Amino acid sequence: MHIPDAFIPLPQAAVYWIIALVFLALAIRWARSELNEDKIPLIAVLAAGIFALQSFNLPVSMGTSGHLVGGALAAIVLGSPFAAVFILTLVLIIQGFIFGDGGITVMGANILNMGVIGGFVGYYTFQGLLKVVKNPYLSSAVAAWLACLIPALACAVEMSIAGTFPLVPGLVAMGIYHAIIGVIEGVVTAVIIYVLAMARPDLVDTSVGVASV
Amino acid sequence: MIDNKTFIIAGLLISLLIGMVAVFLASGDPDGLESTALVVSGQKELTGLSPEEGDPEVIGTGSYTYESPMPDYSLGEEMGSTGGIIAIVVGTIITMLIVMGASYAIRLSKNSQ
Repeated sequence: MHIPDAFIPLPQAAVYWIIALVFLALAIRWARSELNEDKIPLIAVLAAGIFALQSFNLPVSMGTSGHLVGGALAAIVLGSPFAAVFILTLVLIIQGFIFGDGGITVMGANILNMGVIGGFVGYYTFQGLLKVVKNPYLSSAVAAWLACLIPALACAVEMSIAGTFPLVPGLVAMGIYHAIIGVIEGVVTAVIIYVLAMARPDLVDTSVGVASV
Repeated sequence: MIDNKTFIIAGLLISLLIGMVAVFLASGDPDGLESTALVVSGQKELTGLSPEEGDPEVIGTGSYTYESPMPDYSLGEEMGSTGGIIAIVVGTIITMLIVMGASYAIRLSKNSQ
């Protein structure tokens, strides 16, 4: 769901940049207080993995494809939605400037959708569900599904404000595609969280680590 | 429990593997957003096949564009899969180094206060 430059007029793109920069500043504040010698390898490996997963366009039939976003993954593993903002912003900057994936003027909108909305939806869905179902893998799978679907819907709304897509067909198409892509995102996120909790239980957020004890 | 160095190497190798598999297995159909653009511009049905010549970006032609060093994760048609692999490997390693660099920089800035 990387928005190309042409899809949003510049004044609107500027508004999304301002919102994104506010969250980025908060994410840097999070990084200053949370990052330590042990967490830096985790955050670097997560970023490399998210870059690779985003380059993998999975066929979902219906003449479309989707890649994983990774916002929920970053937020759940590191125990903060700002982790997703931090990692996704850097990944999106690299994708935009080096690979032409997602525009530069609209990067604020892409950071808002995938980093901020994806991270917050993913993190709070996970925390809320975990209290109810007590299973971190089921919770993370559902959280990742929503963290794929909601940003896609936000993207459709932004497109309609921009006048690029009509609202309803945009919501229907983005919603259907990402409801399906989200299932794959959910499964892959749960598997990765399981593997990380096994490999380095000391690094993952304690609410994830519950299951590995 | 594995140590930090092993963790980084294993994580990077797995990421590179996913990226390289992607070069060969990734779908050639457009991403959800571009596919939606084709739907709303009437070039494709919601559940139909993507037209080979469909160009979703035609929606916003004429506005701002820029050149990137490795557009669409490739080094151009003539380099084919090899170019794709180089692009993905470079991107994965750059991502890891930049995120690691930024993290250390933030940590240093905190310690120096």
